[in-house]
Amino acid sequence: MSSDKRLFLFNFLRGAAAILLALLVATVFIFLSSKQPLTSLKYLLLGPVISFKSTGAVFNTTSFLTLLAAMIPTIFSGLAVCVMFSANQFNLAGEGVIMLGAFVGGLLGIYLKLNTGLHQVVCVLVAAIVGGLIMLIPALLKVKLGASEMVTSLMLNYVIMFVILHFLNFTFADRSKGATQSFPFQATAKIPEIVANGTKLTWGLVIALVFVVIIALFMYRTKWGYAIRMIGINQAFAQYSGIQVGAIIVLSQVVGGILAGMGGSIEMLGRYNTFIWRELPGYGWLGITIAILAKNNPIFVPVAALFIAYLDKGCQLMAINSDVPFEMIDIIQASIFLFFAAEQFLAKYRQRIVVRIAQRDLALQEAAAGQEGSKS
Amino acid sequence: MEQEDFVVQMKGISKVYPNGIAANRDVDFFLRRGEIHAIMGENGAGKSTLMKILFGLEEPTSGEILVNGEPVSITSPNKAIALGIGMVHQHFMLVPSLTVAENIVLGMAPTKSRLFVDYKKAVQIAEENADRYNLRIDPNAKVVDIPVGMKQKVEILKALVRGAKILILDEPTAVLTTQETSELFKELVSLKEQGFTIIFISHKLKEIKQITDRLTIMRGGKSVGVYETANISEEEISRLMVGRDVILEVVKEQSQPRETVLKVRDLEYTDRWNKKMLDKVSFSVRRGEILGVAGVEGNGQRELVDMLFNLNTPDAGSVEVSGKSIIRMPQNRIRDHGVSLVPEDRMTYGIADLATIEENVISDRFDEKRFNSGVLFNMREIHQESDTLIVDYRILSKSRRQQVKMLSGGNIQKVVVARELSSKPTLLIADQPTRGIDVGATEFIRAQIVDLSRNGAAVLLVSADLNEVIELSDSLIVMYGGKVVAYFEDTDKLDDITMGEYMLGLKHQTEEEIAKVCYE
Repeated sequence: MSSDKRLFLFNFLRGAAAILLALLVATVFIFLSSKQPLTSLKYLLLGPVISFKSTGAVFNTTSFLTLLAAMIPTIFSGLAVCVMFSANQFNLAGEGVIMLGAFVGGLLGIYLKLNTGLHQVVCVLVAAIVGGLIMLIPALLKVKLGASEMVTSLMLNYVIMFVILHFLNFTFADRSKGATQSFPFQATAKIPEIVANGTKLTWGLVIALVFVVIIALFMYRTKWGYAIRMIGINQAFAQYSGIQVGAIIVLSQVVGGILAGMGGSIEMLGRYNTFIWRELPGYGWLGITIAILAKNNPIFVPVAALFIAYLDKGCQLMAINSDVPFEMIDIIQASIFLFFAAEQFLAKYRQRIVVRIAQRDLALQEAAAGQEGSKS
Repeated sequence: MEQEDFVVQMKGISKVYPNGIAANRDVDFFLRRGEIHAIMGENGAGKSTLMKILFGLEEPTSGEILVNGEPVSITSPNKAIALGIGMVHQHFMLVPSLTVAENIVLGMAPTKSRLFVDYKKAVQIAEENADRYNLRIDPNAKVVDIPVGMKQKVEILKALVRGAKILILDEPTAVLTTQETSELFKELVSLKEQGFTIIFISHKLKEIKQITDRLTIMRGGKSVGVYETANISEEEISRLMVGRDVILEVVKEQSQPRETVLKVRDLEYTDRWNKKMLDKVSFSVRRGEILGVAGVEGNGQRELVDMLFNLNTPDAGSVEVSGKSIIRMPQNRIRDHGVSLVPEDRMTYGIADLATIEENVISDRFDEKRFNSGVLFNMREIHQESDTLIVDYRILSKSRRQQVKMLSGGNIQKVVVARELSSKPTLLIADQPTRGIDVGATEFIRAQIVDLSRNGAAVLLVSADLNEVIELSDSLIVMYGGKVVAYFEDTDKLDDITMGEYMLGLKHQTEEEIAKVCYE
């Protein structure tokens, strides 16, 4: 096995170990706080895919498919964050832009008259473009005025939310309904389920996976992705090399906005019949979690998204079926981050691998040198 | 085995860094009490690592350390200091906004009623020690205002005040002028006479011969031998260091300068601390010649180079490349005009450390047509380009996919040089191109630069290394206090003593003499 592969494997195993340890910490908390810890654990760890009946445990296909459905918006937001974080732009507006994309896509789904097929495409594309344009705000403020994109994008979330709520309340609300919501989307705009079974697993997942590939190619096989990554690693180097740093910083955030806007509209037109979000949906924040777990590598985003969806569902089930509160999920997530983010976690063991590889390389080099020597 | 008085014994020291580099492999190092002992070796030979281990900055992977015959484990610099070991780093660890006295007592400041720093007492401590060890300093000056030579004395005093009996000096002369160097050597000898033991890390053969008693030579992480300095010749040391004979002199043909490429006129710049860093700087560089810029660091060279690559904007004056002003021009267009820069600070500007060798060598050309097919990169072309550069510029690496961070200093610089020289520039700005890298890489890079100029490029060489700037340049200017103070059309007759006088501002030429460098 080559040394690169070994370290790759190590990093992978380290991630797994971080997750296991985090679950262990969670277990401790569950044992401390629950009167029925084993039941609680059972629901947390197995509940998302297995249903427990009197006849025994069976694999729950429906539940599994809802897990996959839950990944749709978070894959998009995870990808958006990957792109922006890769350029070292800590833009946190994914959250608001998802809501905006959902709102724009939803309105077009209500008021535009188009044939199905074209209708969805137009809704999602316009939402994506609006998402990209709105990200120009933090991006240009950063490049032109040096304003921290972290601060402006964070505030932008609430600006977006309240503007949407204003228009929802005063312009687009369906007054015949008790709750504040829009008129229903037309059937032509709805994104259909892959199998009509109520799991909300729509074609959106396929689109999301296609975008995983597109974004992976974008980041590692195009000049723009290359420029984004170089800026992220060393901005001074990028500038000195002649990369147009300002333009690429804007680009990274616009691409992030496009992805978030797209994700929001696909989620809205797939899962709901009317626009009913009255607060930020939370997918943007999850996107940050996912990007960190995936180490900003688009290819790992679906895996991270699935993991987060699983954990989320497990905690929900645990909260419903046992006496552990739903907030436990925060503890588990926090401990995973702690272990993930801690560079020194298992550093000693990594060092041992490195030493072994180095010694072997040296031995090989010396052997080669010896051979050369004997030849000459 | 004869009984010797070893103050430090390091036995079988090995060190593997987390990035996989085996910096020390079974190294033995024995230090006699009261000697000046040189550690010599190319960059990446493991000298600094060995010393960092002794000073507690790094932990050895295996091996044993004895200080005064007692086995010790030095886990932190504090422990090293407690054992009487002090280190003067290559890059000074001083607080620039504090005074010399404050820096000397930092962390152990005398106090009034345990609450306030007793500044008078601090000055007194500084002065007493300065007198005792014969190190002349101004205790009330702010560190930011004092020359490099004095900063070094402050560093040495800092170590002595903390009770160091063994002093580690990491390339202490790298930043000093000839005069400052000889002053330092006098002081070191006087310290030795007072019973201190000194470890002296350097690449410079002449200095080693001049001042040390013994020397340990390292190569490829191993110790290749310990010698009495008197019994070994410079040639032999250099052969042991690199494992082959190195030509220290640069061989180059006479230059045949052609038309002017770079034209700098009346450049002025005042920095944000209101210090005039460039004062009416004017010169020209022509095709086919190497113009050197000599000077003690901090006399405007860095600012000058920044202006030439639009990394900063001058207050007044002009910079033209082949007749076009490049002030405020974006770097990609400056590069399109045929300008390349080997930056002084290679880790900040020269490379993206977490990226691969391949990603680093294409950073100035990745958007060229040949590397793109449609929206995607043409990976085959990119692989070919990086493989060619790795071979042509002898970058020692496992593959093009290796992280640049994993390479040694010399090989990192080769990555930078490969990129900057292979773009066939009409103007190459080389800022300290061989600082801190090994003899082999230095020799290779110098040859490449000479080659480029003889093939018709204009080269501006900025270097604080006097030998380099004299050997490599066809003609040179000296900068002092932000001004060009001397121009030498021919570098053949120059010696470091004359140069030192100009570099320290003791002498300067007339305006007419200096103006000749504009070739008008």
